[in-house]
Amino acid sequence: MNVRLETLAQTTLVILEGRLDFGSAGGFEKQLEQVLAGAGTVPAAVIIDCSALDYVSSAGLRVFLLAVRKSQHAGISFSLCSLKPAVREVLDLSGFSRIITVHADRATALAQAPPGRA
Amino acid sequence: MKQRCKGVPSDAAHLPVLTEFLREFWSAADLPPAQAAAFELALEEVFMNVVMHGSPAGTTPWVEVSLSLTADALTMTVEDSGPQFDPLSLPPPDVTATLAERRLGGLGVFLVRQVMDTVSYHRVGARNRLRMTKHIAG
Repeated sequence: MNVRLETLAQTTLVILEGRLDFGSAGGFEKQLEQVLAGAGTVPAAVIIDCSALDYVSSAGLRVFLLAVRKSQHAGISFSLCSLKPAVREVLDLSGFSRIITVHADRATALAQAPPGRA
Repeated sequence: MKQRCKGVPSDAAHLPVLTEFLREFWSAADLPPAQAAAFELALEEVFMNVVMHGSPAGTTPWVEVSLSLTADALTMTVEDSGPQFDPLSLPPPDVTATLAERRLGGLGVFLVRQVMDTVSYHRVGARNRLRMTKHIAG
């Protein structure tokens, strides 16, 4: 899986491409920890863009759950956007779409992101 | 009816080998691509369960995956030589739990049951056998 980061004001976009399975989950967990810890400044919002994510298993759901908990503790807004049907199905079946904010697309996610800290 | 079988040691490094085996079967049998995801997910969850929970320290059970296609369904059977364990005996996770209460145990097996039509466990000799079947739309 490829992970690309983009920063827009105080929002960090994490763009995923490929498969979030057992093989890629460990590395992604570490990357996401670094994003949430903030290199210099902690982001006000983290948006995981899943428009090119083809697959997620329970190993990936685990990383999302840990990240959403950490975000909550750190006061960071955390959301997913642009899920493909196969990924959406796994989120729905597992009940994760009830506990993680999911936006239809990136524009909606950005519009909902908090403006940032003063 | 088409049938294929693949064996690997219960080591996480072999997950891509099994995924590739499933994909090759899928394209050779010309099955609908949209339905592959359910089998890929079930294969990963079941195999990783054996790797993480069914392989006592210092042992590497053997895992065999077989695919068997009939006119309208595909059956995937995963057998392993590890200690007796019925993953279907795990309590299902509470999918309505709040963020703070949510636990991850049993989630993989729960997903397998959701995406497959039938799942059954049998202890056969010294092996665990998990059999999963799903209707394949033509």
